[in-house]
Amino acid sequence: MSAPISTAMDNLTAAIRSNIIPNQEYLLQGSVLDSAVEVLLHRLRGLCDNVDTGPETFNDHEMCFSIRGAEQPLLLRVRRALDYQDMPWQLRYIGQPELGDKSRPTIVRSSLDIATSNTVVDFLTELGCRLDFEYIARGYMFRKGRMKVTVSKIFKMGQQGKIPESMEAISQSYLVELSVLAPSGQDAIAEDMRIFAEQLKPLVQLEKIDYKRFVH
Amino acid sequence: MQREEKQLDSALEAIIMRVNDLKTAIAAMIFKLEHEYETLNWPNFLDNFALISGHLTSLSKILGHDKAPNLRNLTVLPLRLSPEKDDELLRLTEGRIPTFAHDLVPDYLRTKVEPQAEQKMIQLEAKAANLNYETSHKQVAQYTKVINHVWDIANKAREEWESEAGSRATQAQTSSTADTHALVAAVGMGKGLKSDSVQMVQSGVNSVPSGMMVGRPGNQQQTPGQGSLGNPPMGQMNKAPSAIKTNIKAASQIHPYR
Repeated sequence: MSAPISTAMDNLTAAIRSNIIPNQEYLLQGSVLDSAVEVLLHRLRGLCDNVDTGPETFNDHEMCFSIRGAEQPLLLRVRRALDYQDMPWQLRYIGQPELGDKSRPTIVRSSLDIATSNTVVDFLTELGCRLDFEYIARGYMFRKGRMKVTVSKIFKMGQQGKIPESMEAISQSYLVELSVLAPSGQDAIAEDMRIFAEQLKPLVQLEKIDYKRFVH
Repeated sequence: MQREEKQLDSALEAIIMRVNDLKTAIAAMIFKLEHEYETLNWPNFLDNFALISGHLTSLSKILGHDKAPNLRNLTVLPLRLSPEKDDELLRLTEGRIPTFAHDLVPDYLRTKVEPQAEQKMIQLEAKAANLNYETSHKQVAQYTKVINHVWDIANKAREEWESEAGSRATQAQTSSTADTHALVAAVGMGKGLKSDSVQMVQSGVNSVPSGMMVGRPGNQQQTPGQGSLGNPPMGQMNKAPSAIKTNIKAASQIHPYR
């Protein structure tokens, strides 16, 4: 019993040091008009791995909380599945997106997520976070190797945090996201993503989008 | 006379050059077939064919040229046959013909097609001559019909293909940059989602008793930035500074746990 008892903190530090935590998200974004979404789904069904089972659907409610930091507010996202009420909720931190120069094919942002109980909203509220905005994302999820492709419709949330009976979509398009979670420094995956995005053109233009640029 | 001879010489020289090109191309291809048949691929092989056909085209161009001498009008007249071995001839023909003898000369100086081919031609010509006009006319009509049919099919396929390609180019609009930006901004920053949620936060927080103390500061912090949108009572506005303080405390308390 001479070996020191390793604590969770030690394990975590070791994991961080050896750089095995997938804490970087490589991301490309785009959209497809409602009229063309069937074509896109068809193409994705052919390109992606889960051919036999078909695309996975999801119907999620996402709440974005913010807490005032030194300069920029810290954003924390809580996500829950509306179609699977007993599943754990997800708490996620997303860092500032790095666009990089032209040689970099994707946005890179740090991303940490963890499963939580459904009391996480109360917990965050106690910490002093406030709800910034929320929405409902409903759509399809595909995967290809390590890559994840989501095609989702974004709906406004109703009053009082209730799910409205008739949902109001915020645009006539589906949001398309191609992402990979990987430990930092694995830039090779970004190249794979660029090639995959190339295969979806001209149906969808998956790009690095700097939303800071057009939000005032 | 002398001028004509000169012209003939130069034309022959050019023809010989082309024939040599053709010969080397064929030799290279045979060499490839014999020595590289294991690694030879189709594109490579077809390249060789293309080379040979290129040489053939340039040869026929020279022969068909206006100023080319009409070789048909010239005859080669063998003056002397000899059964003895001729080294010079062997060298000229690259080791193919050792003697200029009576058994080889007729074959090599022959200007007509091969006997077997000639026989076949005669047979075919006889057959063609035996056909009466009506049957041949019928056959030609039938043949034309079939060809026309194939032509139609090919044309139809091309039209379909072209219209498909055209329509694909015109219906290119499957995504909109404006929508992409709106969606990404909404998901990333809450653009277009916030105005509703602000009201909701207020009502939502008030209904949760435990979140009251912490929830309210968050609320008030928002009001200055919100400007004329909200209409908070003056009393709450005055409390705002202290509220921010408690907020900072709450935030700083988080850190020790990290």
